[in-house]
Amino acid sequence: MPSLRDATADAPAPVRAVAQALASYIDRLGTVWVEGQVAQVSRRPGLNTVFLTLRDTVADLSLSVTCARHVFDSLNPPLVEGASVVIHAKPSFYPGRGSLSLQAREIRMIGLGELLARLERRRQLLAAEGLFAAELKRRLPFLPTTVGLVTAPGSDAERDVLENARRRWPAVRFRVAAARMQGANSAREVMEALEVLERDPAVDVVVVARGGGAVEDLLPFSDEAVSRAVHAMRTPVVSAIGHEADQPLLDLVADVRASTPTDAARRVVPDLAEELHRVEVGRARLRQAMRAWLDREQSRLTMVRTRPAMADPRHLLDARGEEVRQLRDRSRRTLRHRLERAGDDVHHAAARVAALSPLATLRRGYAVLQDADGHVVTSIAEVATGAQVSVRVADGRVAATVDGLTDLTPVVTDPEESDE
Amino acid sequence: MSEQTPSYEEAREELVAVVAQLEAGGTTLEESLALWERGEKLARTCQEWLDGARERLDAVVAADEEE
Repeated sequence: MPSLRDATADAPAPVRAVAQALASYIDRLGTVWVEGQVAQVSRRPGLNTVFLTLRDTVADLSLSVTCARHVFDSLNPPLVEGASVVIHAKPSFYPGRGSLSLQAREIRMIGLGELLARLERRRQLLAAEGLFAAELKRRLPFLPTTVGLVTAPGSDAERDVLENARRRWPAVRFRVAAARMQGANSAREVMEALEVLERDPAVDVVVVARGGGAVEDLLPFSDEAVSRAVHAMRTPVVSAIGHEADQPLLDLVADVRASTPTDAARRVVPDLAEELHRVEVGRARLRQAMRAWLDREQSRLTMVRTRPAMADPRHLLDARGEEVRQLRDRSRRTLRHRLERAGDDVHHAAARVAALSPLATLRRGYAVLQDADGHVVTSIAEVATGAQVSVRVADGRVAATVDGLTDLTPVVTDPEESDE
Repeated sequence: MSEQTPSYEEAREELVAVVAQLEAGGTTLEESLALWERGEKLARTCQEWLDGARERLDAVVAADEEE
């Protein structure tokens, strides 16, 4: 194939040859670092390439930039129109349309570092002032009367908070205070909305909700005046800004930081099903405790009632009956004993009486002489001859008359012994 | 202690005391009988408390189960 240089008016080179030559020439160019401002982003669904327009920061001229979708999507914060960037790119000619573009291999945001440094200084300042102190954090009400919501009307954030809160607690009440959540007026409108909700006595918790966005978009939520307004509020504030990774100052000054609007909904209202379950468990435990108490007391009562003193009151009488019986027996025994002793006494006395009786002497042949008056005659001096006397013998009396009297010297001198 | 339906605890405490006194002895027959009758009455009071509480508990549980 002849060189393009050899082409003439009579023998021109075809478009494809020129395009291929351009493509191969441009392809030999190395990569370049280029700085500019993103004027336009075209990110069409289904295409693996994102088209950007990169404008010079001073002169009115621009270049097309193509960027693989994964490179574009991995940018954090996301690339938005107006951002200043440094791109590492390779010039590339697209022969299909004869267009030249820079193929971006790497995109770096600029100005962000400076922005973040400013935010960090502000954060340290407010922290030193004590705005973020842990002891300032208030507990959220368990079940708020009304939840105040500061968000952009019709936003996904609003829908996320409302829907998720209602799903957990269907009776939840909201008061939405609309505010633009992005742009120059955002900070002022957010403060006005907070003020409205703070004045409403029914509102006992406020959620500030916004979806994710570029660091620049979230700037109002790191605004110093907004931070101070939240700090001054008596109503607890839940910050629900952006995604998990975003950390505006509002997150630090708020009483509770929710990672997303959905998370905020979860924190401001309890879960109905879960609470019902807890109530049910509590009720079951209550009843169980009551039943256990009853059983314990019943067994104590039963124990007392079955003690012999209570269970068998006859036992009381038995003991006393036994006592009475014993006493009776004792009295009977004593009486019998005494009767027996008295019998013995009588017997002895009778024996003594018998022993003392003159009858035995009479049986032995002695007789007792009595005069007519019944006096016992012991001396001849007591009777006279011819007197009527009576002689007592063992089995009767003999009537007699005294025929004569003879004086006899006593055989024994002692008159006492002579009686025997 | 009031004579008008003592609380369960009062009734139980007194019942325990009455039984202890009965068991200790040293009382006249008349006193013993009076103590025993008092004990029976207290035991009945206690039982009524317990039965009443159990009935109320069962009623609530039964009402729940009917729901």
